[in-house]
This record gives sequence, C-alpha cells and structure tokens, in this order.
Amino acid sequence: MLTPAELVWLIAAVAKGDEAAFERLYAATRAKLYGVVLRILRRQDLAEEVIQETYVKIWNSAGQFNPGLSSPITWMASIARNRAIDLVRKRSELSIEEEPSAMEVAADSPDPLARREMTEELKRLLECVGRLEPDRQKLVLLAYYNGWSREQLATKFDAPLNTVKTWLRRSLMEIRECLGL
Amino acid sequence: MDYSEDHIALAAEYALGTLDADERAQVETMMSVDKDFTTMVRAWEYRLGSLNQMVGSVEPRPELWERIKTATGMADQQAPLVLPEALTAMPPDVPPPELPPRLGEQAAAVVDTGNVVRLQHQARRWRGVASAMAAIAAALVAVIGIQVAQPDWLPERLRPKPRTQIVEVKPPPAAALSGQFVALLQGQPGGPAFILTVDGATKNFTVRRVGATSADPGKSFELWLISDKLPKPRSLGVIGSDEFTARPVLSGFDADVVNGATYAVTVEQAGGSPDGNPHSAPVFSGKLIETVPPAR
Repeated sequence: MLTPAELVWLIAAVAKGDEAAFERLYAATRAKLYGVVLRILRRQDLAEEVIQETYVKIWNSAGQFNPGLSSPITWMASIARNRAIDLVRKRSELSIEEEPSAMEVAADSPDPLARREMTEELKRLLECVGRLEPDRQKLVLLAYYNGWSREQLATKFDAPLNTVKTWLRRSLMEIRECLGL
Repeated sequence: MDYSEDHIALAAEYALGTLDADERAQVETMMSVDKDFTTMVRAWEYRLGSLNQMVGSVEPRPELWERIKTATGMADQQAPLVLPEALTAMPPDVPPPELPPRLGEQAAAVVDTGNVVRLQHQARRWRGVASAMAAIAAALVAVIGIQVAQPDWLPERLRPKPRTQIVEVKPPPAAALSGQFVALLQGQPGGPAFILTVDGATKNFTVRRVGATSADPGKSFELWLISDKLPKPRSLGVIGSDEFTARPVLSGFDADVVNGATYAVTVEQAGGSPDGNPHSAPVFSGKLIETVPPAR
C-alpha cells in the first residue's frame, strides 16, 4: 500500500487526466475497495459492477477530492461503500443466502501487517466503540462491515425495529461525544 | 454548523449505512442543497472509515481493470496486458498512443522521434508488468508465509508447488470459523486496554496494546482462553512489551471454542505463569465480535 501522501499525489495526477497515475492508483487500492464491497454485496458480479462504477467516478471526479476533509483511501472507500449500500437497499429482494458461491472469492488473506498500521484515528474510534455495551459494539461493527439495514440487525439481535433504531442512534451519539465532536 | 440531533443522527446513520433507500435518497437530496450538511456527512464517513483498515483485501479478477479502462475510454490505446512473455513481443501495428509525457520522456529526448513511440510503449508495458509482478509477489508472500508457518492450513493442492498455483489462492475450505473477529479486552473502568484480532481462516491472532497499559515491573501480562468446553483456562502466551504480539497458537483449538471463548489477561510473574495456571483475577477481558461473517 502506498502512503496517504502518495495517494494524494496520485489522485491529483488523475484529476489532470494522467492515465498512468490512474493505473497505479487502481493497483494500490483495488484489493482494499473490493474487499470492502464484497463483504457487503457477497456476490462477485455485483461487487465488480460497483468497483467499476467507483473507479469511473474516481476518474471523473478526482478533482473533487479534498485532502483536508478526508484521507484518500477513506474517500475512495466511501464512494465504493455508498454505491454498494445503495445497491443492496434498492434490491431488497437480493437474497444473499441464495448464492452459495458468493463468498468463494472473498478470501480474507491473512494480513497481520495491516493491523500494525492502525492509524491514530482507528485507535481512537475503537476506544470509543469499546465503551459501548458489548451488544452495541457488535451492532455498530456489523452495520458498518456488513452494510446491514436496521431490519437485518433487528433480525440478528431479535429486537423490535424501533429498538434497534434507538440503539443505533444512541450508540452513534455516544461515539460522537467520546470522540469529542 | 447548528443541526438538530435528528440531523446529526441522520448524517451518522447514512455514513454507518443503516438507512433505508428512501432515507438515503433524502440525505443525498439534503447534501445536494446544503453544503454544511454534506460536510457533516463526509466527516462521519471519514471518522467511521478508519474501520476499513481492518477489512481484509481481496484481489478482484484482472479483467475488471479492462472493463474500467473501457468505461473510462482509456482502453483503445493499449493491447491488453498479458503475462511476461508479452515483454519481448512488440505489436507492429498498434497506433501511436497519445501519452502524456512521463517515464519515456527522458529517453525520448535523446533519441530520434521514430523511437519515441516504441520507448513509451515499452515504458508503459513495463509498468503494467511491474504491477502484475507486484500482485503476484504479494500473493506469493501470503502463500509462502502460510507454508512456512503452518503448511497444514493450506488446501491440499496448495502445498507442494506454490509457484504454479498462484492464481488458486483461495481460503481454506470454509470452516465454522472463517470470518474476522475482534475482541476489545477491557478492565474496570473505561475503554479497552488490548484489542485482540483473530483471523478466522488462519486462526492467527494479534494483540494490540491500546493506550499506556503496561505491566508493573517484574510482572507480565498473560493472555488466556477461557471456554466452558475446556476444563481450565489455556494460556495463549505472554503479551510482549511491543505494541503488537502476533501468534498462531489458536490453531490448536476448535473453531467453536475460539469463537465462544472469553479472552482474559492476568498479571503473572515476569515471563508468564510457571505452571500453566493463571495467578490473578482477569484484569482485562472480552469476547470476540464477528466483524466479517464466515463464508457460507
């Protein structure tokens, strides 16, 4: 993985239409972004579709990236993640369980080095998540990593929808307070 | 920014991803007309986005890049990248690419223009090959790493000849535990002191220190696995003084034991418990939270 500064530089070059920079940016980030969306979509065909749209959007709107507001990888991952979540919310009939082959490609290769590279932001966030009740910690992490809707979370936690809604809201507000925002 | 808690919660839940399609559309509409609200949503995305650091990378199929190039209108200038044998073959009839000046530039400056295209081509091809080689190297490192550490974890066909099976890198056959798991080991009071991460596929675990937690002089922190399926706590070893301690020792336990256990840290004499039993009450403990579901 390139450093954030290198990624910022590449995005700036992509904004000027530099195709080689775009290729390097893709090479440096594709596996992370694909891992993020595959987890949510659980289907290779849909994940590829989302990744394609994501990089087309990055190619077309690299000039809008503001390094003061986000990190390059978070900016890119947010584009990918938002598209993935839009897709699953719009296709509520999409049944993940019906696709037994869906996760065959989702090998999480052992990647202990990535954990060594936890940023300060992640450490702080995890500290704050860790202050929530254990069930709420799980709720927030499942929502984020799997892109689950409140309905799915309600099923998982065997709780009424409104309760889940309240839990989510309180958890997020507690995280906000903990982070000092 | 002066937004109601409802608005803040809406922005936060958008970033978390739990809104339904209508609410997401509502947020997107609000963002299109309200710059400050957009900033708030982006701030939440940034804040929560650091969680993606814990998500394992998955290589997409190589043809995806071809599709992206086509979709961005870049594909027409370059023959598809094949593997290294393409290095020596120069297609004679590829039209001159309109490349921005780059790697080939210095070289091109000192040769006559007839060679510029050729050099740029080569530079481009080399770059493509270089990134392909980097991907292969990364896959190899992963495979070799497992082979060296614990060849038994690999599927049968990956064991003898890694070189010919790079493209076959797949998860071990889906076991009961193959997601990613995190436990926040907490004490009284406050946030976690250690973050335990377990890779379900390999059962490798990593313990990370958070904050200024450290054992008293002459003492060591020792990590234990406590399960109702086991007669007594099992030591997972002393947590080193480094920020990270990584070990594969969970591989000896069944998936449901690893998954359901409580992980606890005790204070032991320097170097760890001499008799395999814990000698203090747990000072920090926690259970695994599944952050990535197992393959199904």
